Amino acid sequence: MNVIDQIRHGADGILVLGNHPEIVQSILDFDFLSGKPAPSIIGIVTQNRRALKCFFGAKEMLIPCFKSVSTIPETKKENIRFMLNVQSGRRVFESTVSFFETFPNALGGHIFAENMPESQATELIKRFGKEKLIAGPSGVGLLVPGFLKLGASGGVGVPQLVQGKLSSPGSVAVVSTSGGMTNELIVAVANAGKSFSVCIGGDRFPVTSLTDVLALAEADKQTEAIVYFGELGGSDEYEIVEMLEKRQLTKPILCYIAGIIDEAFDEHMQFGHAKALVAHKDESARAKREALKKAGAIAPDTFPEFLAEMRKLPGTLTDTNAIDIKPLMERQKSILSTRKIVDLENVPEYVKGGKLVKRGENAFASATLHALLGREASPLAGAFVENIFELLIDHGGHVSGAVNTMITARAGKDLVSSLAAGLLTIGPRFGGAVNDAARTWMDGIASGKSAADFVEEKTKKGELLAGIGHKKYRVGIPDPRVEALSQFVSLLKKHPHYDFARSVEEVTTGKNGNLILNVDGVMSAVLLDILAEADKFTVEELRELADAEFFNALFVIPRSVGFISHFIEQKKNDEGLFRLPDELLFERGD
Amino acid sequence: MPRVKITEYKAKQLLLGDAYQGISFRDSFPPPYQGGGQGAVGDTEMRYVVKVDQGIKKRFKQGLVKIGVLANEISAVVEPWKEKGFSQFIAEPLLDHAVTEEQYFSLERVREGIRMLHAAEGGVDIEAHPEAVQTYVIADASDIAGIAKKSGIPEKFLLNTVEAFEKKMFGFLEINPLVIKDGEAHLLDAAALVDSSGEFFVRGSWTAKDIVKTKAKHESEGRVEELAKTTPASLKLSVINPDGALFFLLSGGGGSIVIADEAELEGAGKLIANYGEYSGGPTREETYLYAREVLSLLLSSKAPKKALVIAGGVANFTDVKKTFAGIIDALSEQSDELRKQGVKVFVRRGGPNEAEGLSAMKAFLEQEKLLGSVHGSDEVITKAVEDAIAFVKV
Repeated sequence: MNVIDQIRHGADGILVLGNHPEIVQSILDFDFLSGKPAPSIIGIVTQNRRALKCFFGAKEMLIPCFKSVSTIPETKKENIRFMLNVQSGRRVFESTVSFFETFPNALGGHIFAENMPESQATELIKRFGKEKLIAGPSGVGLLVPGFLKLGASGGVGVPQLVQGKLSSPGSVAVVSTSGGMTNELIVAVANAGKSFSVCIGGDRFPVTSLTDVLALAEADKQTEAIVYFGELGGSDEYEIVEMLEKRQLTKPILCYIAGIIDEAFDEHMQFGHAKALVAHKDESARAKREALKKAGAIAPDTFPEFLAEMRKLPGTLTDTNAIDIKPLMERQKSILSTRKIVDLENVPEYVKGGKLVKRGENAFASATLHALLGREASPLAGAFVENIFELLIDHGGHVSGAVNTMITARAGKDLVSSLAAGLLTIGPRFGGAVNDAARTWMDGIASGKSAADFVEEKTKKGELLAGIGHKKYRVGIPDPRVEALSQFVSLLKKHPHYDFARSVEEVTTGKNGNLILNVDGVMSAVLLDILAEADKFTVEELRELADAEFFNALFVIPRSVGFISHFIEQKKNDEGLFRLPDELLFERGD
Repeated sequence: MPRVKITEYKAKQLLLGDAYQGISFRDSFPPPYQGGGQGAVGDTEMRYVVKVDQGIKKRFKQGLVKIGVLANEISAVVEPWKEKGFSQFIAEPLLDHAVTEEQYFSLERVREGIRMLHAAEGGVDIEAHPEAVQTYVIADASDIAGIAKKSGIPEKFLLNTVEAFEKKMFGFLEINPLVIKDGEAHLLDAAALVDSSGEFFVRGSWTAKDIVKTKAKHESEGRVEELAKTTPASLKLSVINPDGALFFLLSGGGGSIVIADEAELEGAGKLIANYGEYSGGPTREETYLYAREVLSLLLSSKAPKKALVIAGGVANFTDVKKTFAGIIDALSEQSDELRKQGVKVFVRRGGPNEAEGLSAMKAFLEQEKLLGSVHGSDEVITKAVEDAIAFVKV
C-alpha cells in the first residue's frame, strides 16, 4: 500500500516542529470539516510553552507542546506518522533528521522553510528521499482531501477550506512548484475534486522529486488525471517528458509552465523561487512547454486556456455531507484556560440525620491533593500529605516567615497583609527548597550516575544540594520528623527517589555530620515514590509537577495556618509597633 | 534562496587559502594594505594578468582581460575599464603555459551529489568541443580517488576543491582554463556561484559583500532590497521600463509570474514597467513601504496612460485584509497625484480575509475615483491584468 492509500486508511498523526498557529488551526479545521473525531495533530515541539490553545470545531482545546522530540511520551509517539516542520532554514535540517531518526516508521513530512541550503537538501534526499514522502523544502505541503492536510495547502481560513472543497475526495492530482499556485489550482479544480495534492516547492532540490510524485499519481487508483504547475528554470519537466515517452505515465497530464515574461528582460532574471532562473537554453518556459507538448502532455500557452482545459478533465467529486460552518465563523477565543478544580455540586456533608458522620480518612488532605493534581489521589498519598500538613503547620516563632508575620501584625496591618508578609518570605533559604529537592532526586535518577559522582559534580559546579543539611540535627542526633516520614517507604514496593536521597546523604555525611537528609529532602523523595507507585504518575508527569512548583505548595499550605496563628496571637497581645532595640542592631562603621 | 555569483578573487581565496597570490583592487594598484591575505607587491619584474572581477561572462572576448602586465602598468590598464563603468579588478601572477595545456573543469551541485565536468583539452574554446567533455558524479567523498585517476586530475587538488565546495556552500564552480604542471593544479580563471541560503552556515567565510553586483540598480530596487533584509517575508522588485504603462504590485512567487506572463502573451510586454512580488505574509507596514516604491515608479513614468495592477493568486496564509490595508496606506498618500495623472487601479486577489480586504480596497478606490476593477478568487488570476491592458491600450 503506498503512502497516499495509507493516509486514506487513517494514518494521519502529525507532529509539528516549530510555531505557526495559523497553519495548526487550519489543519484542525480541516480535520473537523472532514468529520474526524479528533485532530490529526498530536503535538507541537516548541520552546517556552506547554500547550497551544486551538479550536476543534467550535470548541476550544489544548494541543500539548514539548521541548524536544525526545521528551514526547511514548503513548503519544506511537500515533505520529508525519512531520510538519515550520522552523526557520537555519534549524530545519537538524530537526528533520532528528524527527526521522526518532520515528523511523514515519511516512513523510513537509518542510516549510524556503531557505534551506542546497547541500542540506541533497543530504535529506540521500537519507530519506527513497522511503519518505517529503514535500519541500518550501511550498505548502501535502493534501489528501478528507484525510490529511499537512501544511498551508488549501489555505488557512474556514471559508477557504470550504471553497476549495478540501474535505471531499476527488479524482485530479494537483502538483505544483509554487505554494500560491497550488492553492489557485486547488480552487480551480474544486468541482472535479482532488485525489491528492503535493507542492514540491520552488527550491532547486525538492526532497521528494517531481518524478516520485507523478509515479504516485500514476499508481493511485483514485487519480484519473494530473494537473501540474511549473516554472522556468531547472529541468524537472524533462522528467515528465521521459516518463511520458517511456509510458511510465499514461494518465492525462495538463501542464502550465510559467515564465514567458523572462523573454521581456535583457538577461535572464532570478524570479521569486530559488530554482526560477534560466541557466541553460532548455530551461526556459517556452522550451519546456514545447517539449511537454511534443511528448503528449496538454500544455496550453496561456493560463486562461490552461483553466479551460482543466474544466474538461474527468471529475468524480464525492461530495461528503456538508458541515454547517456558521458556528465556526462565530467562535470567540477565550482568554484563560483552566479546569474545574472542585465539583461545586458535590457539597460535603458532615452531619446526616442529626448525627456526625465520618467522610473518610484524611478528607481535607485528599481533597487538597485532588484539587492540586486534577485527579483523585491514592489513600497512601492522602495519608502522607496529611502527615506533612500536620508536621509543617508551625516551627516556632523564630523562623523568618513567622517573624515577618508578627512584625507586620504589630505595625497594625490586617490578616491578609500579615500573612502575605510571611508567605513572601518563603524562598530558596526558607521553606522553598522542597521543590528543588524533588528536582534534585529526579535529576539524580535520570542521570544514571552514582550518588558519589552526582554529589561530586554538584559540588564542583558550586551548587547546593537541596534537601540536605540541618543546623541542629546531625549524625547521632536524628531529626525525629525525618524518621517519621521515612516510615512510609515500608508501604511501597519500590522507592528509588528515597533510596537515592539516602545514598546522597551517605556521601555528604561522610564530609560533614550536619549534612543529613532534612524534612524538605525526605518529604519530596517519599512523595515522588508514592505518586509514582500508588498513583501511577509517569516521569514526565512528575517533572511537570516540579515545573509547576507543586512540591513547594505542600509547605505553603500548612505554614499559612502557622502564620495566621502568629498573627492572631499578636493581635491578642497587641504590644504596639515593633522596633529593633539598639543593642540588637550592629551599626557598621566604614 | 537562489544561487549568487561571488567574485573570482573570493572564490579562489576560498579554494586556495593563503597560497592564493591574487590581489583585489578597486581604484589603483597596488591597493592600500588592508591586512589579511593580500601581500605587498615587491617584485617589480613580475608579470601579471589583470582582469575585471564582476562576474562578467566572456571577459576575454570583451577585452576585459590583459596579460603580461608589469606592476607599475596595472593602474593604467584598468583606466579604460573604469570609464566603461567597471569598478572591481583582480591582478594575478602570470603563469607561463601553452594553450594545449589548458583544461576545462567544473563542479555543480545536483540531486545525486556533485557533478564534475572535465575536458583534458579545449579550455577557453570548450563550447566548440562539447564531445570532449567527460561527466562524473561525486556522490560520496570515497568516489574522488577513482575519478581523479580516470580524469588525470591530481587527487589532492580534487579532494581539496570538493571539500571547499561542500564546506563553503558552493552551488557551481567553473575553472577554465585549468592548467596542470608537474602534478600541480593552477587555476587561471574561475567563476563561482554560492548558495545564498548558506551564508549563515559558512560563518563569515563569504558574506553578502562578496556577491558581485552585475548591473547598476535602480534606486527603488536598492531600497526594496534593503527593506527585504529586515523581514522574514519576501519582497522583490525589478524595474524593466521606467516609462512603462503597466505597474505591477503582485503577490506570490508563482502567481506573479503567471500574471506577468499574461501581459507578455497578450503582446503588452513592452508596456510592462516593473516586475516584483511580495509574499510570505508581510505586515501592513512592510506592505506599505513596498507599495510606496512601486507608486513612486509609477508616478515618475512618462507613459500617457498608466495602470496599477494589484494582483495575485489565492493566498495560503498571507492575509489579504492586512496587506491591502498597507497598500491603501500607500495609495492614500498619493491619491491626488494618481487621480491627476489619470491612473486606474485593477485588482484580483484571494486568500484569508479575502472578502474584507477586497471590499475595503473597492470602497477606497471608488471614493478616490481610481477604480479600474476589483476581482476575487471567483475570477481567473489573470483578470486584473487583462482589464489593465485593455485600459492602457485604448
